[in-house]
Amino acid sequence: MSQPNSTHTPQLVTRDGAVIPDGWTLLADDDTTGADGPFILSFERALRELDGRNGHYGVRVLPADDVRLLEPFLEKITLIEVAFPGYRDGRGYSTARILREDFGYTGIVRAVGDVLRDQLFYMLRCGFDEFVVKDKDPSQAITSAAQRFQTVYQGAADSNRPAWAKRHTLA
Amino acid sequence: MSATMYKYDDFDHAFVRDRNIEFADQVARRLSGEITEDQFKPLRLMNGLYLQLHAYMLRIAVPYGVLSSRQMRKFAHIARTYDRDFGHFTTRQNLQFNWVKLAEAPKILEELAEVEMHALQTSGNCIRNTTTDQFAGAARDEHSDPRPWAELIRQWSSNHPEFTFLPRKFKIAITGAQKDRAAIRVHDIGLHAKPEGFDVYVGGGMGRTPSLGHCIRTGLPGEKLLSYLEACLRVYNRYGRRDNIYKARIKILVAALGPDEYKRQVEEEWARMDQAKVDAPVAEIDRLKSFFPDPEFKAAAFDRVAYQRAQTADAAFARWIKNNTNPHKRDDHVSVTISLKPVGLPPGDASSAQMDVMADVADAFAYSELRVSHEQNIILPHVHKGDLYALYSQLDAVNLSTANVGKITDMIVCPGLDYCSLANARSIPLAQDISQRFEDAQLSDQIGDLQIKISGCINACGHHHVGHIGILGVDKQGIEFYQILLGGRADEKAALGVITGKGLPAEAVPAAIERVVRLYLDLRTSDSERFIDTLERVGRETFAGALHEPA
Repeated sequence: MSQPNSTHTPQLVTRDGAVIPDGWTLLADDDTTGADGPFILSFERALRELDGRNGHYGVRVLPADDVRLLEPFLEKITLIEVAFPGYRDGRGYSTARILREDFGYTGIVRAVGDVLRDQLFYMLRCGFDEFVVKDKDPSQAITSAAQRFQTVYQGAADSNRPAWAKRHTLA
Repeated sequence: MSATMYKYDDFDHAFVRDRNIEFADQVARRLSGEITEDQFKPLRLMNGLYLQLHAYMLRIAVPYGVLSSRQMRKFAHIARTYDRDFGHFTTRQNLQFNWVKLAEAPKILEELAEVEMHALQTSGNCIRNTTTDQFAGAARDEHSDPRPWAELIRQWSSNHPEFTFLPRKFKIAITGAQKDRAAIRVHDIGLHAKPEGFDVYVGGGMGRTPSLGHCIRTGLPGEKLLSYLEACLRVYNRYGRRDNIYKARIKILVAALGPDEYKRQVEEEWARMDQAKVDAPVAEIDRLKSFFPDPEFKAAAFDRVAYQRAQTADAAFARWIKNNTNPHKRDDHVSVTISLKPVGLPPGDASSAQMDVMADVADAFAYSELRVSHEQNIILPHVHKGDLYALYSQLDAVNLSTANVGKITDMIVCPGLDYCSLANARSIPLAQDISQRFEDAQLSDQIGDLQIKISGCINACGHHHVGHIGILGVDKQGIEFYQILLGGRADEKAALGVITGKGLPAEAVPAAIERVVRLYLDLRTSDSERFIDTLERVGRETFAGALHEPA
């Protein structure tokens, strides 16, 4: 179940357990030429430039970034990468829930950085749908995380119903 | 008979079972060498397993301190089978086993699951066990029973997907009585349940930067409690400091923003949130309340004459009644505190034999229910007065009749350097020395209510900031020294103690405390003026001189 600080190569996996290629390129802040194919802007750059751009972009959100500032531009954003520079920094979970639950954002929310199999359960619940995971078997890591708990106690960004909801529809 | 307490349904059982399967797998990987101790650490901490100075320590959650006799017997069994025949009750109303073998931890958790218990969220940067008034549901001064709300919070905070990697640990306390026995002003969030709703205090705490919580909301309806807490936690999770472990608690954030600005952010978050998704419906709150009816109180007529006669005949019994009982909402009942602070023994410890006796007397005289108090004692919340002498006699036979509740020898003491890898100084031996000095029952009763709290380091697990007399162990160039704080209190008039005088070596502390106490006895205007009252009347400085040997 656990493989923290894994040395395995990061792979991109979807919430359904499919390992997929990553077609996105992270654009350096001083890169003015753009990239072939879809690219990802830093948070600061997105705030500066998205107003004047047309098209569809990715944005990388760091833990200290206030994701609410992206609200005016969400129509132009098809991918939001939420960075987890360290395992213990839990700000990205709030970021994802704000996107999904406050804004109803339907684009891709992707977890990148220090993403280990032990976090996947929480990330799934907070509305992430893609993960760059360091694990020997990312596909298995996702499916086992999704099935780890039959009971959850909170409403969150996923479709799991909290125990109280199940209790009172059964009755 | 079974205790009136929350009972797991299939959803709760499934949750604990799933968690135990996961942990057993993690332990197996560690034992086989597949993962290192470093990799294992964050995983075991999520299951309450600490590596202490000498061995693994397993901290078991006792939700809001409520225990059945069956659970207490299970503790006794675990102490006998897997530990050194004793356990330690903590200031978070939990139980710690200090000598656990890693390979046996999953088996212990399996045994606990049989009695609806676990060790989840007793460590780590998550929402910890919610604590409350040890006399909940029984106390005469209670206006709202905090237990259903504590259970609501327990479930909501279990494996919370957003709040499992907070900047730091997070502690919530609830009271529903006029007297605050839950110390709500020194918790990350303190809740005061009132008929008209909750008062919400945020940003209290002890540790290096002690502070008292600020009231940011009054009259919060119970059915909105979870969404409001979620908003409080979200602001903290997003903006609490993560660069310095000592500045990561919510009190630092609230102080930096100011309580008004913190409140504004919380209210904004709360207004934006889909509250219906977070708040359990009234039907669920009613379900939780249904687990906490009064027990079927014994109807036996109370023989007041026999009760008085027993006290006249046995002075020790009379003293125990006076010191160890709390007024009950029914005239013919009391709440009884079983002191785990006998003179000369480590505070909060109980042997397996004592645990068995406590379970037995709970079955015989207390509707099978027990509580753990944050003062590290055990409570029988409902006892018919007619049963007190029989109860007392059975407790007395196993050294559980110490009559010192709320008195100078009823100290809160952290494990200190004898167990803890963070400590700078020993706590337990100092507590033993102090309790020996005030062993004399007459002297102790004469002094009356006086709370001493001892921490072996600045992390303040012994709550020294809120002791009437607080004692803090520090390391001064390799030598254990103790600073004395005066004037702290954790009740409804919460205040932080202030370091007074110079640090003292361990052997000088008991005499210094005795001088302070003797001065108090000289200064008090009547027997009913408590130490803390005199201190507040005459000022701390009056006592400063007494701390040091006259030149």
